[in-house]
Amino acid sequence: MSTLIKPHLKISDVGKIYATQEGKKIVALQNVNLSVQRGEFISLLGPSGCGKSTLLNLIAGFQNPTTGAVIQNGVEVLEPNATRTVVFQDYALFNWMTLQKNVEFGLKAKGMTKSERAEVARDFLARVQLAGFEDKLPHEVSGGMKQRAAIARAMAPDPEILLMDEPLGALDAQTRVLLQEEISRLTSEGNCTVIFVTHGIDEAVFLADRVVVMSPRPGRIREIVTSDLGFPRNAASRTDPWFVRTVNKLWETLKPDWQKEEKENA
Amino acid sequence: MTSQITVTTVLPQAKIKVKKPSALRRKFMLNMIGLWSVLLLWQALAGLGIINSFLLPAPTDVVVALWNLAKDGTLFVHLAASLKRIVFGYLLACAIGLPLGFLCGWSRTAAELIRPIIEALRPVPPLAWVPIAILWFGLGDMSAYFLVFLGCVFPLFFGAYTAVRSIDRNQINAALCLGASRKLLFVDVLFPAALPIMMPNLRLALGIGWMCVVTAELIAAQTGLGYLIQQSRMLFQINNVVAGMVAIGIVGFIMSAAVEKIERHVNAWSPSERS
Repeated sequence: MSTLIKPHLKISDVGKIYATQEGKKIVALQNVNLSVQRGEFISLLGPSGCGKSTLLNLIAGFQNPTTGAVIQNGVEVLEPNATRTVVFQDYALFNWMTLQKNVEFGLKAKGMTKSERAEVARDFLARVQLAGFEDKLPHEVSGGMKQRAAIARAMAPDPEILLMDEPLGALDAQTRVLLQEEISRLTSEGNCTVIFVTHGIDEAVFLADRVVVMSPRPGRIREIVTSDLGFPRNAASRTDPWFVRTVNKLWETLKPDWQKEEKENA
Repeated sequence: MTSQITVTTVLPQAKIKVKKPSALRRKFMLNMIGLWSVLLLWQALAGLGIINSFLLPAPTDVVVALWNLAKDGTLFVHLAASLKRIVFGYLLACAIGLPLGFLCGWSRTAAELIRPIIEALRPVPPLAWVPIAILWFGLGDMSAYFLVFLGCVFPLFFGAYTAVRSIDRNQINAALCLGASRKLLFVDVLFPAALPIMMPNLRLALGIGWMCVVTAELIAAQTGLGYLIQQSRMLFQINNVVAGMVAIGIVGFIMSAAVEKIERHVNAWSPSERS
């Protein structure tokens, strides 16, 4: 029965140090500890340089931590596999494949038969409102549609953990709001755990069960906010007093970091 | 959403694609005027006896010579010999250059091991290999294959090498996190992602290969279009020399046009290549 108590994903004392070209060492992450339960939606929120994307890469298995470990179901994560799929900010769709074939890719990798994966992929494209666009190539559709297809591609192989790396960062404000609601709907339908990296406060609070706030240099967890919002998350959630209060509070918390970032970039 | 697509992607493409027919016709007319005026000038100078027809025959004489060579089949025998050589030599170069390029693009260790060898051999022009080719393989097909191979293999290697290195890391990561095996990663992701970047080099290599065939046949073969013009020179058949050159030019042009057509097809998904 101990497996039930074990967290789905455990980030255990994780640190990541990069060496720059001049040999200088940069501490991207330091002493990060986090336990995530199955089906939880976690937003990783923070200014740039707080290591939130690095943490996501470590969870995906694209890189390995310098110290500590990422543990999924009691097993250390060392390389990427299909139980943890990723949605990238720049979509990373396979440009030479139709949207349909893109979504089929993970199913093909799983060894699903041709007709089976065609059906599953069509179903997922319909779920992200892309019915009728199956045979389009990525460059023929808008950015929002590309990201919908990328979400379908990541969800189709039925991953345990869905990792989203600022997926809405490249989209315009209206599309972003639409997709936030859709991501919330899609992920609450399934039972996969979601790690959502963003620097948008309202986005993080709108989507998450828990918002993990990070701070930079070295990247570490500053605080964790557990959501009071119910489901479904929609326009009404944005006027919920708790939502408004939390967004304002987080803004006050993070403001110094952002101001510092702006000065450094100037 | 739909309105957004039409605005952002369809319009600019439409602008590029729908070139006005009159503009195209104008371009074609200008091309033709340029080409024909040179031919007419050449014909006139030859007809007036200003050009010694022993050194350069009139265009009409060249056409007649080409026709005669085609009629008795000589042209096609030599053409077939040349084509066989470029095809084999090119495929051999692909079979060795492309995998090596992919390997070096993928693995830093392999690149460190293999690149110095390539860099050492590359500056030697294929023509400089002719004596040793004859020594090793004698006169004939083998020498020609070898020289075509040498001409093609370096651009093919570098095409594959740079292509793999310039593939978006996120696309590889996307494939890996979706559970792609090595084979699926290569066949469905690396190769198609690399192909449009490699295409210009595939075409370049074919052009160099064709030059190498002709060079090899001038010296180290007893068939082929290169041999045809060399033999015609020795027999003082200047008309056949120029006819052979024209044939070489036409075949080169057709090959490059065919590859360009394939290139356009391959690049259909890559909007930057559309114009």
